[in-house]
Amino acid sequence: MKLEKWNPSVKMVTILICVLILSFQYNTVLNTTVFAVMLLSLFFFSEVNPGKVAALLVPAGFAALGLFVMGLYYAKGSSIPVKAMADVDMMPYMVRAALSTNLHTALQLATRLLAYAGMGIVFALTTDGEYFVRSLMHQCHLPPKFAYGILAAFYLMPFMARELKNVQLSFRVRNMCGNALHPNVLFTMLVNSVRWSESEAMAMESKGFCGAAKRTYCEIPEIHPADVIIAVLCIGSMVAGIFILGS
Amino acid sequence: MKQKTEEMLHLRDVVFRYHPKGKRNILDHVSLDIADHTITVITGSSGCGKSTMAAVSAGLYPENGGYLESGEITLYGRSVREMNPQERASVMTVMFQNPDLQFCMQTLRNEMEFCLENICVPAEEMDQRIKNTAEELGVAYLLDRRLSTLSGGEKQKANLACLFLMKSRCILLDEPFANIDEDAAWEMVDMIKKMHDTGTSFLVIDHRLEYWIPVADEIIVLGKGGKLIKSGINKDNFREYSSFLRENGLFYPNEDRKVHENTEMTRPMITLKNLTITVGEKWKKKGQSEQMLTDMADAVFEKKRISAVLGPSGSGKTTMFQAILKQHAYTGEILIGDTPLHKIRRGKLYSEVGIVFQNPADQFVTQNVLEEVEASLRQRKGLSKEEKSSIAKELLEEYGLSGYRNYSPYMLSQGQQRRLAVLSVLASGKKILLLDEPTYGQDYSTTISIMEHLRRKVEHECMTVILITHDSRLAKQYADKVYRLKDKKLVDITGLSDEDEVKT
Repeated sequence: MKLEKWNPSVKMVTILICVLILSFQYNTVLNTTVFAVMLLSLFFFSEVNPGKVAALLVPAGFAALGLFVMGLYYAKGSSIPVKAMADVDMMPYMVRAALSTNLHTALQLATRLLAYAGMGIVFALTTDGEYFVRSLMHQCHLPPKFAYGILAAFYLMPFMARELKNVQLSFRVRNMCGNALHPNVLFTMLVNSVRWSESEAMAMESKGFCGAAKRTYCEIPEIHPADVIIAVLCIGSMVAGIFILGS
Repeated sequence: MKQKTEEMLHLRDVVFRYHPKGKRNILDHVSLDIADHTITVITGSSGCGKSTMAAVSAGLYPENGGYLESGEITLYGRSVREMNPQERASVMTVMFQNPDLQFCMQTLRNEMEFCLENICVPAEEMDQRIKNTAEELGVAYLLDRRLSTLSGGEKQKANLACLFLMKSRCILLDEPFANIDEDAAWEMVDMIKKMHDTGTSFLVIDHRLEYWIPVADEIIVLGKGGKLIKSGINKDNFREYSSFLRENGLFYPNEDRKVHENTEMTRPMITLKNLTITVGEKWKKKGQSEQMLTDMADAVFEKKRISAVLGPSGSGKTTMFQAILKQHAYTGEILIGDTPLHKIRRGKLYSEVGIVFQNPADQFVTQNVLEEVEASLRQRKGLSKEEKSSIAKELLEEYGLSGYRNYSPYMLSQGQQRRLAVLSVLASGKKILLLDEPTYGQDYSTTISIMEHLRRKVEHECMTVILITHDSRLAKQYADKVYRLKDKKLVDITGLSDEDEVKT
């Protein structure tokens, strides 16, 4: 089964549980294994473009590196007293730092961030927005009003990106600052967004959409045994990993 | 009783404004009756309250904004205000101007499913119903394409198909052909005719009467405050009313008269050489490919001339403007004067080139109509504050917007917003103007006054104007040079009639 077919609500719950379990563990090997497994499953069990994965991993990699450096140099509770460290000052600082348990902490932090990133990427890239929202509606009882509102906003994104470009350009051609975060640009986008959402809501309403009224559903996402089996497998292997790899 | 069943929409003494305490009523004691099983077209000068009347009739206002002071609105004998959206959808559905803001799903099939779900059609019937409707209207090829990748014309067709699928008794179209090309508009008129034959009524709001004269049962003219001035116009008695329509600036005379003739060459201002523009997603899924909009296209836009670019919607005209403004990647060469575009710094480029967007609300930089024009005047050097203010007021007067000086630009009607956008760009004193659909949604007299103003500016201030339009007649009347974007090339069709063009 491809990851895309996995019921999104079950997928979400599974990943949340895995994230929770992982946050109570301080195990570099486990973190690294989770990260590797996530990447491998993306390559073998999904249709995701590897370039997209790489693009998302770059910022995650930087963040992990940042955490690593921070943990290495600035963490509290170095196992070697500062005085002892000062005595061996012929050693380069890097080596001295590495001697301390800070290295351990730093690696833990960095790999954990990568493991989280891996799980996040798996969810984000293998989940179809519409399928997810439909599933939330039926499995998690999200009201249709929100569900379809979210979908409409989601599909409006490419349009909004295009409009933002136009707004920025119109400021620039009038010799005004067109930075996306400039208050004037933000204001124009804000006013426009309100108008767009109003038009969108009117269009939906004129097609008979009414949050409260009864409606039929063309397709109701279901939870199949396979969905649950994969979830149990994931959580189970995570727990097993904790015992096998030791904490 | 018979009267009741034949009447589709009934408005009696409706008073509506956007702010409860506002002084200006958008609809001022409007009364109107429209019969069932007809195609009725409502026209009137821009800003007269047509769109508002449509939204009020469909029950979308005051529910989504505005204040209904008094009046009675019934659809098929039932008060609109007592119906919920589901019930309203069974009698009247609405299609709006902006094709981008009408869908909430990814593909037309999903959108159609959404529509059927809304009106509680059982799931097992959906597939067949969607298939039948799509085939009947000839939109089956659109069903599984992403809506965001469709052209404006395709989106409007898709939307019309959705509404027809819901089998409501009447479909209201609010300027359905804004932003779409003439061919697509005619195809839609055909679709509408087919639907009408199956018993659906249509209420249409539009300025371009030439599309509707052959099919409309009745054309109604509204005046200020949404008041009815003339009704009962149809294709049989149209000639009797044509002078009335012309006097009110509502009818586009059917003549291919060239208003100005400027055939001699001047210096090229913008030159496109071997221009290739592609669009596509950055991270392509397996099997996706880039779409080429222009392929080795060449064109010369001369100084002191108006040039027009025609072409189907979605064919890349707007993207070409973006390329000229350094907002979209291209290969080939773009010359501004004699300098290649890549050698001109953005700041310098923007001090010479101005643009009016397809969606005018994108380009307002202030919160006040007068300030909007003054902001543009600021780009002209050597004007004192008083001078700026008085020039701005004069210009607003000329464009019929002086009464709205202290309004927020967003409170103007679509047509007025477009006028303001054109006006602000003209005021900035730039040498090159790129105008994307500057005259849509304008009545005939405003269109003419905008074009005449442009023409004067071009002649007196040595401007270069490039104009994207779907209105080929307007292009042929006012432009010195006309290009059509066809098969990814820019073809010079200046001086060719439609038949000649087909031959070549």
